[in-house]
Amino acid sequence: MKQLITAIAIAYSCFSYSQDCTYTFLGELSDFHDGTPIVSATIHITEHDRYIVSDFNGKFKIENLCSGTITLKISHVGCETKVVSYEIDGDTHKSIQIEHHIEELDEISITGESSKKETKTAQETVLKANTLKKYSALNLGEALKEVSGVSSINTGNSIVKPIINGMHSSRLLILNNNVRLQDQEWGIEHAPNIDINSAAQISVIKGSGALAYGGDAIGGVIVVNPNRVIKKDTLYGRTIIGGQSNGRGYNISSTLNKSYSSGWFANIQGSIKQNGDFKAPDYNLTNTGLKSHAFTVNAGKKRFESGFEVFYSYLDNEIGILGASHIGSTFDLGRAINLEQPSLINDFSYDINAPKQEVTHHLAKASYYKRFKNFGKINLQYDYQNNQRFEFDVRIGDRRNIPAVDLKLQTHTFLADINLDANLNRKINFGIMGRFQDNFANPDTGVRRLIPDYEKYDFGAYTTAEWQISDDLIFDAGLRYDFNRIDAKKFYLKSRWEERGYDVDFLNIIIEEFPTQFLTNPVFNFHNISASTGLKYNINDSNQIIFNYSLASRPPNVSELFSDGLHHSAARFELGNLRFDKEIANRLSASYAYNSSKFNLLTEVFYSRINNFIYLRPFDFILTNRGPFPLWQYQQTNAQLFGIDITATYNITDALQWQNKTAFIKGYDLETDLPLIDIPSFNTTNQVTYNNEAWYNFSTSLKSEWVFKQNEFPDFNFEIEDQLTGEMTLIDISTPPPAYHLLHLYSEATFSFTEKSNLKVALGINNLLNTSYRNNLNRLRYFADDLGRNITLQLELNY
Amino acid sequence: MNTNKLNIKTMKINYLNITKTTKLFVGALFCLSLITSCSSDDDNPPPVNPEEIITNVTLTFTNNADATDIVTLASVAPDGQDGTSTETITGNFTAGATYDLSLAITNASETPADDVLNDDIIPEADEHFFSYAVNNINLTMTRDADDIDGPNGSKLGVNTTWVAGAASTGNVQITLTHEPTATDDTGGFGTPTGGSEDLNITFNNVDIQ
Repeated sequence: MKQLITAIAIAYSCFSYSQDCTYTFLGELSDFHDGTPIVSATIHITEHDRYIVSDFNGKFKIENLCSGTITLKISHVGCETKVVSYEIDGDTHKSIQIEHHIEELDEISITGESSKKETKTAQETVLKANTLKKYSALNLGEALKEVSGVSSINTGNSIVKPIINGMHSSRLLILNNNVRLQDQEWGIEHAPNIDINSAAQISVIKGSGALAYGGDAIGGVIVVNPNRVIKKDTLYGRTIIGGQSNGRGYNISSTLNKSYSSGWFANIQGSIKQNGDFKAPDYNLTNTGLKSHAFTVNAGKKRFESGFEVFYSYLDNEIGILGASHIGSTFDLGRAINLEQPSLINDFSYDINAPKQEVTHHLAKASYYKRFKNFGKINLQYDYQNNQRFEFDVRIGDRRNIPAVDLKLQTHTFLADINLDANLNRKINFGIMGRFQDNFANPDTGVRRLIPDYEKYDFGAYTTAEWQISDDLIFDAGLRYDFNRIDAKKFYLKSRWEERGYDVDFLNIIIEEFPTQFLTNPVFNFHNISASTGLKYNINDSNQIIFNYSLASRPPNVSELFSDGLHHSAARFELGNLRFDKEIANRLSASYAYNSSKFNLLTEVFYSRINNFIYLRPFDFILTNRGPFPLWQYQQTNAQLFGIDITATYNITDALQWQNKTAFIKGYDLETDLPLIDIPSFNTTNQVTYNNEAWYNFSTSLKSEWVFKQNEFPDFNFEIEDQLTGEMTLIDISTPPPAYHLLHLYSEATFSFTEKSNLKVALGINNLLNTSYRNNLNRLRYFADDLGRNITLQLELNY
Repeated sequence: MNTNKLNIKTMKINYLNITKTTKLFVGALFCLSLITSCSSDDDNPPPVNPEEIITNVTLTFTNNADATDIVTLASVAPDGQDGTSTETITGNFTAGATYDLSLAITNASETPADDVLNDDIIPEADEHFFSYAVNNINLTMTRDADDIDGPNGSKLGVNTTWVAGAASTGNVQITLTHEPTATDDTGGFGTPTGGSEDLNITFNNVDIQ
């Protein structure tokens, strides 16, 4: 019986063999992006449960195949596992491409924490999610101060604009998920419209080295990126709830991410925050409340060979501006500067009254990419932004609820770029950009338009290249051309038109005449060239140096061209100039990094020379029915800036770490030899951190922040005559406030519930000693002290 | 060699895909720009004539005993706070005489002129305060019993009586303060604290003869 079964079995198998199980499959594995053979890949033949390995030429052979389907699962270190199926009905030869350089091609997505630099030779610092989460209740401007050499220019405590190496506003580019923010960034009291909670990683690039994003980044580029997509079947989320004693504020932020191994993904994130009046150590800062709502959704499919994404973000901020800062005349300003306390102090309230801002920003984008064998990657992107800004001033009568500023800025951008990375040692990118922008200044405000109606057209083309010369040496270079055309419809008071001398130079742009005003149609075209080149050299494992040179061109912004009117909160007239040419900056930088297990040091130095540098300075007075006002006009000069930024960490023991961040910068007007205005003073922070992983990942740190007095400032103080008595009064707007030193305490611990869920509890005390101080770069420093002690508690639930 | 050919072929196919997608994108872009260009027609924007500006401030002092004895202090600023203001003085005070002051505050850039005093300031008297000041001229003033109630129990300062003392020449100032935090009208002329100045006009070389 046994023999019989064996015999049948043999007969059967012979029979089936005799069918046609004699075919051979010859496979050849090569790298998708550069065609090199893939050696020692493991090939699993699913039907036969057999393993074979590719040879030195990437080839493999499977013999004695029957006709039918075979499924091969190909895996290799550093590659995505690929599954392919073939119909066999004869000897077969197939070339199979898998990708071996996912990491080098910036496609890696192992964790959301992976940091990826945007540039090779620029001075770039990356802030990761763990750092950013500490600022959940605050804003982008505060978070960026984690980078040495980055400070902020503030209007109160909720309107915070980043300064990189002394430059801000139009001289910085901010990118949100690869979309350049277009949110009236020319204004000092216009904070960037980004919810810090939507960012998983922020790169701060000093200088204009990141040419793909624009050629006018004289100060730098800030690249904000959301969570990177993880290509596996997973669902995770995070909720942050926080409370702050100062301002009795709260914040809630939640995010949920879903992704599939097929590459499909969807994320949703939302946040709400609110605070009432903040408090300085000695008094309430009346009308400094804030209400903020934001959400972001995105979805798409991400695979190695192609992918797409749709993204939408919404942000709505209502921000109260210190009540005491509303002034009507220069005398009011003079009195405010001389007063110890703000003139208006009320009990705590969540109410937000005029003066206040209400800004909503919508951003929608769609992008698509595709990779080609032996070639590279093509990216296409379209985005639309809608920025609506209302500014409510203190007004009388039924105009009380009508904003004094009502601007709607809409921007459409189309981007296309190609990354040639078939040769990983010589990567080349090129791209083009087209943009259309429309600004509408609503006349229903009943206030003459601060910024005119305009249409703007931009076109840009760039190329960047990167050579890996040896294992230790990288060289990069880039070139960019931009064309900007601005077509405005601007009203001028006839008196101003003549005062500016435009009646001589711009006679032919008047298109309509009214009793007291001219309507004009200024059209300007600018051609801008920008460039960047640099090299990075690893001297050895612990020493690295980077050099970079960059050339940037920035056309004047709408405020510098068209301003003409009273700036209430500054009690001055600000006058633009239609004759301005573009700013051109040359910047040289060098960095030295030392890394060892105990000590890390990063030293960054730069020198920047800016021709046609545009800035505001006083030049005359005007006597109005509110008394005399100073006239400030935008001027062009040549300027130079130089500075050094240092970041150092030293591990005293495994558990104890010391960190120092120091920034020193100087800026001068080369024509008048005066220091530039609004340059950050010398500042240094020292922080001691104690960690104990065994004790719920506990860490606590004490930070000392020392901001020195700015001793070099342009003296724009002026005297006004009291018309009644003939006495002269000095209005001291220039003398910076004294140096200050603050201590901040921060502790956190993480409690795990399951493998995937944990709760992080963070307790912080800012301005521990409740020190009274004023910051030179806070525009409301004339009126009130900065924030007093603030105790913050934040719960972060990860699941 | 063979593989090369194959690659080129696949690339072509991929290129077809890409052009399709590009077309879609360009199409979408075109549509969207069309929408915006349609909504923002090429008509010229209308001018804004600020409604709340004050162009003309006139102080008319009339002698109680002689209606023909009038002193007028006038300030004209055609562009409101956006431009220069010009002050003119008509007539002289008579030493020893008592005058009633009549105020007029208007926006003459509108037709007809907007009466800012009666339409905006007086209805919101609780957050406005007129104060006056003199220098080197012997003028004193009192707020009338029928003056309108202003903020914090003070009189607003629109109905006032002025007494000219001995012959002298000097300056007269009028200030309108919006939302003062405190006011004191005990001295007649009045002292506000805080708030912001909507008007601050000085008339130089006013005479008492």
